[in-house]
Amino acid sequence: MVDPRVTGAVRYSQDVELEGMLHARILRSPHPHAHILRMDASKVPEGVVVLSPHDAREFGRYGPQIKDQTILPLDRVRYVGDPVAAVAAETEEEAEEALGLIEVEYEELPAIFDEVEAASEEALLVHDRIHLSENDAAYFGIRPRQGTNVCHRFRIRHGDVEAGFREADVVVEETFRTASAQHAHMEPHATLARWQGERLELWTGTQTPFNLRMDLAGLFGIPEEQIRIVSLPMGGAFGAKTFVRLEAIVAALARKAGRPVRCILERDEEWLTLNRHPTTIKVRIGARRDGTLVAKRVECWANTGAYADCGPGVAQKMGFASPGPYRIPNVRVDSRAVYTNLPPNGAFRGYGQMQCTWASERAMDLLADALDMDPLELRLKNVLRNGDRYCTGEVMRDVHFDECLRSAAEAVGWSEGRQGKGLCVMLKGMQTPSRASIAVEKNDDGTYTVLCATAEMGQGAKRAIRLLAAELLGVEPGKVHFPDPDTDVAPYDTRTTSSRSTHMMGRALEVAVEDLRKNGRRGYGEVRDEGGLDPDTGQGIASSHWHQGAAAAEVEVDEETGKFKVRRLHASVYAGRVVDRAGAELQNEGSMIMGLGTALFEEISFSDGQATNANLSDYNVPAAGDLPELMTHDLIERDGAEIHGLGETALPPVPPAVGNALHSLGLHVTDLPITAESVLEAVDRRAEREVAATGHAPEASATTTVARRAARVLGVAGLAVLGAGVLALLVRKVRG
Amino acid sequence: MKIALKVNGKKVRVEVAPDEMLLEVLRREFGLRSVRETCGIGVCGACTVLVDGEPISACILLAPLAAGCEITTVEGLGGEHPVQRAFVEAQAFQCGYCTPGMILTVKRLLEENPRPSNEEIENYLGGNLCRCGCYVKILAAVKLAASELQGAKQLSLKSRG
Repeated sequence: MVDPRVTGAVRYSQDVELEGMLHARILRSPHPHAHILRMDASKVPEGVVVLSPHDAREFGRYGPQIKDQTILPLDRVRYVGDPVAAVAAETEEEAEEALGLIEVEYEELPAIFDEVEAASEEALLVHDRIHLSENDAAYFGIRPRQGTNVCHRFRIRHGDVEAGFREADVVVEETFRTASAQHAHMEPHATLARWQGERLELWTGTQTPFNLRMDLAGLFGIPEEQIRIVSLPMGGAFGAKTFVRLEAIVAALARKAGRPVRCILERDEEWLTLNRHPTTIKVRIGARRDGTLVAKRVECWANTGAYADCGPGVAQKMGFASPGPYRIPNVRVDSRAVYTNLPPNGAFRGYGQMQCTWASERAMDLLADALDMDPLELRLKNVLRNGDRYCTGEVMRDVHFDECLRSAAEAVGWSEGRQGKGLCVMLKGMQTPSRASIAVEKNDDGTYTVLCATAEMGQGAKRAIRLLAAELLGVEPGKVHFPDPDTDVAPYDTRTTSSRSTHMMGRALEVAVEDLRKNGRRGYGEVRDEGGLDPDTGQGIASSHWHQGAAAAEVEVDEETGKFKVRRLHASVYAGRVVDRAGAELQNEGSMIMGLGTALFEEISFSDGQATNANLSDYNVPAAGDLPELMTHDLIERDGAEIHGLGETALPPVPPAVGNALHSLGLHVTDLPITAESVLEAVDRRAEREVAATGHAPEASATTTVARRAARVLGVAGLAVLGAGVLALLVRKVRG
Repeated sequence: MKIALKVNGKKVRVEVAPDEMLLEVLRREFGLRSVRETCGIGVCGACTVLVDGEPISACILLAPLAAGCEITTVEGLGGEHPVQRAFVEAQAFQCGYCTPGMILTVKRLLEENPRPSNEEIENYLGGNLCRCGCYVKILAAVKLAASELQGAKQLSLKSRG
């Protein structure tokens, strides 16, 4: 059979239909924070079903970690784009028209957008009270600060950080910021819902079918077994298709309509549905003269937007990974998930890892500078090795940070000179605790069926699991069927996130195939990884195994304009064992390219809480032409090693490698993305530092500064002239 | 209004609204699900179809403007077109959502320029985004398809000669 991806035969959620299905559209708040005073839907024609806040009152609350959402907000909207009503009609056009006929009167309220400001005791409150969820919250102990916007606070307390800094010969400190980003999965969110009596069925692209089922059961007050979730293949997800997205609204509409309802989001609505956490991260790190790290203090503020979603989990992971893959005897971390009036922020490839790696690994190069040490040498001196204890207390095993780093450095010719080159190394945890189960059935025709809840979003987990099953069963991969996850038939799985599926399901599969050998027709396998961290001390097991990666970049800067090019980029990732070579390579390459987007240009801009670039023209994602001149990567393997997840590992190290490459030229940047403007400012700051150090301006630098400023003015004028010329030409062409 | 089209080799007459886009017509009237909407403004290429052989974003082409044209979607290539085979061989996809548009654009690229350089491929594919970031393997697939098409051309020249 030809791969359905090249014939267009893949059917995504937006492609499924049911007879008698209605089409849904959502009315959204134009204000970042407001009371809903009145809603009048009397002008909406009969036959169009309207869901209003009034309807939402009869159902409960939901949220994977904090129950802060109702199907529609009851009396107060909290971000620009917060759904206030939804309609279902015979056609999408009718539904769209109906939205315009609903009148809503608001009373605007002051709003807050900055995560550090919002975390203060005096800040206005986005939610009056923080209700915990029994769904995921129990996993890691949510610590909300009632009466503030901090919906979770995670800490690491290891050693005595004050004493550590007293021991240090050199201490550096810096504050870093990262912008919000859009997943920009090509396939929009799409959901189809049908009620049959008190039984709810949903066809939806979701990475988390069982979490979704649990949340919806609580919301509609029915047993979980009365809900069936079918997770169809996704046209990309990257974390955006987790937990409850459209499903609650669509299910409520279908219930009210008594007919199936489908909703497909418009592109701009994606920016109003889920984005990546913007963050502020403050790092202070101290070392002895010889480069031995002695103390680290990290403070993270993760802006989770108007609803927490999995923000507490993101803050936790950001917190426990922020010390980096190093032996540091004294560590103190405070990481917070903070409510603001931005759209909700949640899981995004890396899950907080990119943000904390940016801050921590940029700080390492500041420290190397202060110590006058080679950044590679400083890292190699301190990286965790097998048998070392991490600051969470757990003992590291099967770790290869040294090897990842050396291989990345070699790829950019580190030993031949460091100018324009930068490095980064990181450790990333996998969802812990975590449970996966799988069933393998033998069919009469000699084929086998694998039943599990691992969802396919392009990451290739299904192919990897199928290959593993075929190997264990001793048959061709074509003899193994793997239907789409369906909660009616697939056994429980925590979720398809955190690069865990091949690692967890691969092990569960071994148990299931063994069981099948004993039982003949059906085998069942389950694995549980225990662990978790104390939220107040950060002690315990952060991760049952660690994702390990390093990156190296080489840049070329035009100091006249601040524009720079990434010439070479390399990522080294510890794979343990590769199951599907091409699939593994695609994960590395895709992660690196997404990391480049984050490093160079991806940023959602907001004006008074309104996303001002909510389209794929103003919000750029990497295209083929954005590839570096040379992009390479390694998948490091070991005989007999277990499978390590690869879905995200090569993303977080890319932005710091690029930032550190700039730093090697004396250009210090603190914020992501790294714009040409910020590089120009760094050029100016470097010149100021040189003046301060030498007492006079370096000649070349002073003249170029003047020349550059003149060039900037002339450049703008020149561009305008050029633009007018092109426009005139175009007009002529069209008329002609 | 009724318009005449040739869709994947078949002559058809179809009722369209004057203000609807070709994308909607192809999905609704012909069930061509490979034509997919992403950006809705003609910048991402997920809805690319060939209109008289040229890659066009079907999400911004008013259906009546396609009257009398020949439309090709990836369904019309069968499954064994050299570009499709090259994408499979190079594993130049992940989620597969952008793949049909990518394949059609590459088909046209290789007709215009049978031996494109990396830079020429990157420029030509500037309007086809892949968020999974499969570009390295897509470039490899284009090179593979180019050499296969070149080989086929030489073979057919030889047999004619």
